[in-house]
Amino acid sequence: MDGQFTVSLILIVATFSLYIGIAIFNRARATSDFYVAGRGVPPVFNGMAIGADWMSAASFIGMAGTVMALGYDGLAYIMGWTGGYLLLTFLLAPQLRKYGRYTVPEFIGDRYRSNTARLIAAIATIIISFTYSVGQLSGSGVVIGRLLEVNTATGTMIGVVLIAFYSAMGGMKGITWTQVAQYLVLIVAYLIPVIFMSLQLTQNPAPWLSYGQIIQELQVLDQQLGITEYVVPFTEATKWQFLALMFTLMAGTAGLPHVIVRFYTVATMKAARWSGAWALLFIGLLYLSAPAYAAFSRFILMTEVAGSSLTSLPAWTQAWIDTGELSLADSNGDGILQWTEIMISNDIVVMATPEIANLGVFIIGLMAAGAMAAALSTAGGLMIAISAALSHDIYFRSINPNASEKKRLAVGRWSIVLATVFAGLIALNPPGAITQIVAWAFALASGSFFPALFLGVWWKRANGPGVIAGMIVGLTVTLSYIFAAKYGGFTILGIIDTGAGVFGATAAILTNIIVSLSTAPPTQEAQDEVTDLRYPEQVQYKNGEVWLKEEQK
Amino acid sequence: MDPAKAEAYFKYRTTMIVIYLTIGFFASYLVVFFAKGLSSITVMGIPFHYYMGAQGAVVIFIILLFVNAVISDKIDKKFGFDPKFVDSTNQTVD
Repeated sequence: MDGQFTVSLILIVATFSLYIGIAIFNRARATSDFYVAGRGVPPVFNGMAIGADWMSAASFIGMAGTVMALGYDGLAYIMGWTGGYLLLTFLLAPQLRKYGRYTVPEFIGDRYRSNTARLIAAIATIIISFTYSVGQLSGSGVVIGRLLEVNTATGTMIGVVLIAFYSAMGGMKGITWTQVAQYLVLIVAYLIPVIFMSLQLTQNPAPWLSYGQIIQELQVLDQQLGITEYVVPFTEATKWQFLALMFTLMAGTAGLPHVIVRFYTVATMKAARWSGAWALLFIGLLYLSAPAYAAFSRFILMTEVAGSSLTSLPAWTQAWIDTGELSLADSNGDGILQWTEIMISNDIVVMATPEIANLGVFIIGLMAAGAMAAALSTAGGLMIAISAALSHDIYFRSINPNASEKKRLAVGRWSIVLATVFAGLIALNPPGAITQIVAWAFALASGSFFPALFLGVWWKRANGPGVIAGMIVGLTVTLSYIFAAKYGGFTILGIIDTGAGVFGATAAILTNIIVSLSTAPPTQEAQDEVTDLRYPEQVQYKNGEVWLKEEQK
Repeated sequence: MDPAKAEAYFKYRTTMIVIYLTIGFFASYLVVFFAKGLSSITVMGIPFHYYMGAQGAVVIFIILLFVNAVISDKIDKKFGFDPKFVDSTNQTVD
């Protein structure tokens, strides 16, 4: 209990009050508010909301640490996660927006004229979002636990209560504006320390321009120490693993239900295109800074921490050693800490570096508030996706089609509360590392949704049996590869479990095409609907002709 | 509406998308594939393959998305899909 604790607590409480206030102010009043925020969100703000929704604890807390640990090989995450927005914005989002449904499973069910396909898609949404949210909740547990100086389990439960409260309260409309606020908090929290470190190390306030100098110095240090060089490619995995991981993250991004649904919250195809562009710009601010962050952290650790005497270590080390994420072992017993004797977990690099660089209590507290914003906003978006799949796709569309709006809202709210609590229980004792769980969620999305949506939008011949077989085969191949690679040591070209999506997506696309071609084509009406997606809202394709709609009102 | 005009609109849009995706592919997959050979070139003191992974590819992706948004709006306008119509629906929805 000290000044640091007080400042961090004040910042976290202040930002949380802001989010909850926004959620209350924007309470959902109708079903369309709840799922798609009344479809009236302007593209720039939607871009920020997508950014917050998208940038999870893995991006905020984990990515710079991963790049620091893996060197060049960690950049697959940067290119994969940003490149996914090309696939999403060019190939899927505007068309899905024009089709105009509430959820991704609903699109799949209606486009392919198949209730079975919708149910499979709803179940896949739940599996993917749930897997992903377990990682977010355990991430928030670590941050809350570290700051409030309670154990991680208690921290996780605090996170669960907060997420359940504001997601259930506001629905998509509340979450949209909450996420705009969360984006601003998290990006400021990320940029300030990296700018200060840049000033400290290079006297240049722009880390994106100055870190080349640090990279050069790292290369010299690596050579002096005779360790694996930071910038040399494919030292941690094969080139094929790098390419496969990059593809998995790209296709997974384009198929993540909670991200796609954000494109339903804007008014038009045009707004969907602009949302995608703004989203990647806002995301790019963090992703372009992460490699600089990684280089600065590594440089500070190598030059300021390594080489110091074990008896005169700064105070920050003890708190992190206590969490089990940092170990400083003097293995050669000379009383001096060597670089190779520092074992630092990927997940604490971002959180710990401001302390290591002595940036002061305010910045360290801000960092904690930013990390919480990242974990909470993504978890909130995931909960909406799970709730929509349960209450809309399964309950309303399959079980009780006559349900009133009020009843559907109630089911939506209760499924958020239950899903959050259930995910929280699993997060108390997570089944794997956060980044690993997240990569699996992406592999599953690239093996199931990406092929179904891509063919559904671009190939009118794709039909119900094709998509059902495609999703089942894609999920099966992805899951089997993850298990075979992780537990059986089975790999193709050195591709490990995190790159499984490349096999899942290929299998799903081939299956969809083969089965579609060997069964009856979709009805003319269904094919016309797909042709209609080629044109903006004012244009309608009907009975083989293209009509320009009259201006209404 | 003239079907030839509608077809031309679709072709134009699709061609642009293929061009953008090809550029994106070059900036990411191709650079990674030839990473070792490209590492002798340096940008701002950083080996080229590393620079592309850390910054170059992301910047290119962002530029592509904005170019797409601007050009698509222009294409829409050129084909007479008046953006004012879109804005008026925008307000009634809110």
